[in-house]
Amino acid sequence: MMTAIEFRDVYFRYNEDAPWVLKKFNLKIEENETVAIIGHNGSGKSTIAKLANGLLVPQAGDILVNGRKLTASNVWEIRQNIGMVFQNPENQFVGTTVRDDVAFGLENRGIPRKEMIERIHTSLTQVGMENYQNHEPHNLSGGQKQRVAIASVMATYPEILLLDEATSMLDPRGRKEILSTIHDLKEELEITMVMITHDLHEIILTDRVIVMNQGQIYKDTTVDHLFNDYQGLQSIGLSLPLTVELAIELERQYDYQFTTYPLDNEEFLEALWTSNLKE
Amino acid sequence: MDIQFERVSYTYQMNTPFSYQALKDINMEIKTGEFVAVVGHTGSGKSTLLQHINGLLLPTEGQVQVGNFRLSRDNKRQDLKKLREKVGVVFQYPEHQLFEETVERDISFGLKNFQVPAEETQARIASALEKVHLSDDVLQKSPFELSGGQMRRVAIAGVLAMNPEVLILDEPTAGLDPKGQHDIMNMFYDLHKTKNMTTILVTHQMNHALNYADHIFVLADGRVHMKGAPEQIFSQVESLEEANLDMPDILSLMNQINQKFGTDLCYKRQKPDELAKEIVEQLRENKPL
Repeated sequence: MMTAIEFRDVYFRYNEDAPWVLKKFNLKIEENETVAIIGHNGSGKSTIAKLANGLLVPQAGDILVNGRKLTASNVWEIRQNIGMVFQNPENQFVGTTVRDDVAFGLENRGIPRKEMIERIHTSLTQVGMENYQNHEPHNLSGGQKQRVAIASVMATYPEILLLDEATSMLDPRGRKEILSTIHDLKEELEITMVMITHDLHEIILTDRVIVMNQGQIYKDTTVDHLFNDYQGLQSIGLSLPLTVELAIELERQYDYQFTTYPLDNEEFLEALWTSNLKE
Repeated sequence: MDIQFERVSYTYQMNTPFSYQALKDINMEIKTGEFVAVVGHTGSGKSTLLQHINGLLLPTEGQVQVGNFRLSRDNKRQDLKKLREKVGVVFQYPEHQLFEETVERDISFGLKNFQVPAEETQARIASALEKVHLSDDVLQKSPFELSGGQMRRVAIAGVLAMNPEVLILDEPTAGLDPKGQHDIMNMFYDLHKTKNMTTILVTHQMNHALNYADHIFVLADGRVHMKGAPEQIFSQVESLEEANLDMPDILSLMNQINQKFGTDLCYKRQKPDELAKEIVEQLRENKPL
């Protein structure tokens, strides 16, 4: 298996007087993995995304994408493999219609018109926005805007999709739309996905969870095991989903046993049902 | 300052092909010292509504009464500055409005604009900083060297320095991590409690509306769709659905437990440990022998 993104002894700080955001930082993300990088504001998680596609340059160390070292001369080429969706849906539009917006990235890459039309159609279908081709982006809801932003990125056939807090500015419905879009993409395509987030509900979609704290990997684990060390997570400023909090209380006070901590209501009910029968 | 909306409608770009009615016949009343949440789906008119409270928008029809100020289409020409001194608005992403070279100058900008006497400035800045839990060593820093959470606090301090009687918060926690959200909301709640500050929170987060508000107004399609105490509002699942809103996490979980296990849990602001206790007690009781 190929390594999609690799950080080797990376040092980064925003300026010379500032503390290191990343210090001797090492990370490997394998091809077709879905990884969540979580941590409180200022833990270094967004810096990782910006370094990975060359928006920031490390002071020391190497960053490799698909095994190739990222340098000033190949950054444009490598960026074609990494699609990035940012936090603010308002800042990501260039076109006057949804279709133009998706076309923008394709025109930049010199894709022939016929293929362009096909790709626009396919990528908008993937995010469930195929009926909005001629709509003006500013009339869309936040969730719809972010779905178009994802479509614009997917139309360029990236091998890696980086979502940098892509849901944090959306209302709850918008957030659900994006999560189901991401879920569908993961089902349909072979793609490496990195979700940078502070919303612990989002990690339910991922194979692997990396918890960042003070520029270091605090924990590199899976969703099922993440909450085994819930005290640790709380101590670095992460808050637990309600269902996890309840499960912990049930274990602590009433001898319930959860094999894994439930991340949503369905899992909680299921676990409660099972342990209730046993009692 | 009591706030009252009487049959307020607002239309953007009246008499043009783009005219759009954002508020329709709004009646609402907010009493001095209340904590009110205004919730609604994106596009339901929340932001338009709040801009009426400090006269940024004047109603197309009807009138808004804020303390002694009467805002309507007919009396445009009055000194709104006095009103705006009393009604502080924390807009969405208030840190985007920081612009000065130092935190101190940024916080004092509003004070200068409202001609607060210079000898009072320092005391006002110090007390505003204290309210947002920042220490005074940030004063000489550039606001742009601070973290996102700190920048937001500085921007909020700028509003609090005016000593407003009414505080309007438009999505004050957007983009913050969960701990940051919790800290900021508790900060506003403390201000509300200790200074008896009338607080109007516009939010998408039903959890916040449930936890902090005395009253909730649900907007849908420019109208007041529901109003009442949080417990009342969130017991009407179908009506909330119509407004495209979700239940707060704790209530949706309790409802689902009740459905599946035939329990009778009801919301009384329980903490997780208390709720766990109730769940267990009820399950044991219900268990057939």
